Amino acid sequence: MFKAGSIPWLALHELRMMSREMQRDKARVFQWVMLAIFMVFLLGCGVGLGLLIRETGLPSINPLIVTIVDLSVLVMFSIMASSTLARAAQVLYQRDDLDLLFSSPIPARKILAVRFTGIAFSVTVFWLFIAFGLTVPIAVLGEPRVLAALPVLLSLGLLSSAAGLLLTTLLFRLLGPRRTRVLAQVLSALIGAAVFLAFQLPNIMRGVDSNYSRMSWLRPYITGEDHIDLPPYADLPARAALGEPIPLLIVVGFCLAVFLLVTQGLGRRFARDASVAVGSDASRRKAGKTGAFAAGAFSATLRKEMRLLFRDIALFSQVLLRVFYMLPLAFLFVRNASTGSSLLLPGGAAALALMAGQLASSFTWITVSAEDSPELLVASPTAMSVITRAKLWAGLIPTIALVALPILAVGFWSPWIAFVAAVGAIASGWASGMLNIWYQKPSRRADFRRRGNVHWLLVIPILLIGGLIAGATFLAAAGMPWAVVPAVLAAVGMLALRRSDEQILERLRSLD
Amino acid sequence: MTDALVLSRLTKSFGGKAAVSDLDLTVRSGELYALLGPNGAGKTTTLRMVAGLLAPTSGSISVFGVDALRDPAAAKAIIAWAPDEPMLYDRLNPMEYLEFVAGLWGVDGKTARVKAEELLKWLGLWEQRSQRCEGFSRGMKQKTALAGALIHDPRLLMLDEPLTGLDAAMARQVKDVLQERVRQGGTVILTTHILEVAERMADRIGIIQGGRLLAEGSLEELRAQGGAGDASLEDLFLQLTEPAPLQAGIG
Repeated sequence: MFKAGSIPWLALHELRMMSREMQRDKARVFQWVMLAIFMVFLLGCGVGLGLLIRETGLPSINPLIVTIVDLSVLVMFSIMASSTLARAAQVLYQRDDLDLLFSSPIPARKILAVRFTGIAFSVTVFWLFIAFGLTVPIAVLGEPRVLAALPVLLSLGLLSSAAGLLLTTLLFRLLGPRRTRVLAQVLSALIGAAVFLAFQLPNIMRGVDSNYSRMSWLRPYITGEDHIDLPPYADLPARAALGEPIPLLIVVGFCLAVFLLVTQGLGRRFARDASVAVGSDASRRKAGKTGAFAAGAFSATLRKEMRLLFRDIALFSQVLLRVFYMLPLAFLFVRNASTGSSLLLPGGAAALALMAGQLASSFTWITVSAEDSPELLVASPTAMSVITRAKLWAGLIPTIALVALPILAVGFWSPWIAFVAAVGAIASGWASGMLNIWYQKPSRRADFRRRGNVHWLLVIPILLIGGLIAGATFLAAAGMPWAVVPAVLAAVGMLALRRSDEQILERLRSLD
Repeated sequence: MTDALVLSRLTKSFGGKAAVSDLDLTVRSGELYALLGPNGAGKTTTLRMVAGLLAPTSGSISVFGVDALRDPAAAKAIIAWAPDEPMLYDRLNPMEYLEFVAGLWGVDGKTARVKAEELLKWLGLWEQRSQRCEGFSRGMKQKTALAGALIHDPRLLMLDEPLTGLDAAMARQVKDVLQERVRQGGTVILTTHILEVAERMADRIGIIQGGRLLAEGSLEELRAQGGAGDASLEDLFLQLTEPAPLQAGIG
């Protein structure tokens, strides 16, 4: 169809590999269903907005609208650029078929241009999805101009990808291959979390100041008491998104030009970095005195799992993100305990129990299912129960360390609530950890990042059991004896889902 | 003396198709036994059943008199299994890997520490003891896995294609390690496609195809069985395993 070695031919190859990857992973089925539901929701919102706009007309460009659009652009730009950072590092280190492509006579610049475009598309596709669901109904209901938001978003994706690629190359130059990888993974996680926390600031502020309202900072601008001083051309994105031809042309042209300049300019350097990145994983630690060996299978397995967990920065930071998301909750929980406003305390205890279950689930999913040598475990004379116990503890120890702080802080003011929260958190963590052990599906660590967080079939039982334990925690913290009911239901659920060591072993053998 | 391994009418079927069929095989204690066969002959499946990684459809497995199906833990405790793809952890260094494997096989911490040091020095990996395995060459990975297989001093060492992908020096080193093991009284079973290795190293050779044992014995015994006075192992192997030539006149 296309000339072999041409850019469209390479792009087709990329698309084919992406589609095969999607077909390979059964977990995608669940994700597709969730996406379809989300799209229906977006279309519903779009219809609502479309009807409203038909009545009132599109809002005129004013400083407030410009500020809101610019802030949204900034948020999306940060998230897209951070995603690009992680993906560019992935391209450098995981490589996939990059060696094969680089060994061909096709110029490296051409290969990388296609791969960079793929990265730009992949970091934009989520936002395009949302914009599509919202703008298409509005366009159908009489305002086709809003469809201009789609090319604006695509352009923003190109611009932020160019920034992400530049940052990766800069980090590579300044820090070297090993540190770049770690920093790229941590930074990309942190930027996403920072945006979330920024959005949660009003909730936290409301917790501190009961008179605080989410929109209070906007009030003077809406009422005209104050006015916003905008820098020149700050209105370009808003005008472009509303379909004004000149701003649209400027935005699209500028972003495309920057992307082309960066990708063409960086092509050769990136190819060189990619070759340096090969083998950079090898730790060149100075051989020091090695400590005493662990005694017994349990300690040896626990030690091995803890080492692997803390050495996989990418997986670990993915899980730690959940801790960032816990921060507003933990803040409110501790604050309510300190002021004696006990109404929200049972809710906080329950939420902590639920969160502990989620964290433990993620950690044990890693310790159990990111197993490079399942055959070594099966071939050893150690009982499966000893290995699973060690893996469960390896997942529970960091969970306990993370939830201990807010629980201890609450314990200072309300020991009973702290005790109930601790029991709930441990029960929830243990339950989700055991579910991950009973239904484990080991895979090589290198393949693991592709597989997402937890096996999709496990998501529902983990949420259900976690929900029941959280319910029991809530009721117990509120002093209600009804707490026994969800606790017993959770226990019955665990008994029904329980798998024996022999069943686990049989499952491991059947995965061959 | 008790035989190291006795397989009796061992069968393994996958979806009704037999990968190993009524296999009877005996490996004597203290010998180096080479199990040969074309691709898909059932060599790896056989060894995986002995290692406890696959449950046989029928038949029995005895390792130094221990019924491996009735008491798998006791059998596993005296076996080491090293597949062609080394069972390693990229983010552990060789010392940490050996610590873990020793723990799995219940070797006392102090003993394991000393043994690990010995093995790594013996295999020329001592300088790399603190480097993570992710940067190792295939040969270094194979040697690390071999150290893991030897850390609990197994009575029966089983290796699947141990020389695949190794350069000449590494291959020589691994061969020396195996011969030294046999000299020390250990029993070694290996599968290989390099027939010269089997010819030069093995005390006895078993040739299987379609999950059945076609021939077994020392090289001389195989020659006698094949009625070929000075034939090489390669000739004997091809004679036994090559499909029958197409009938004249077809096509």
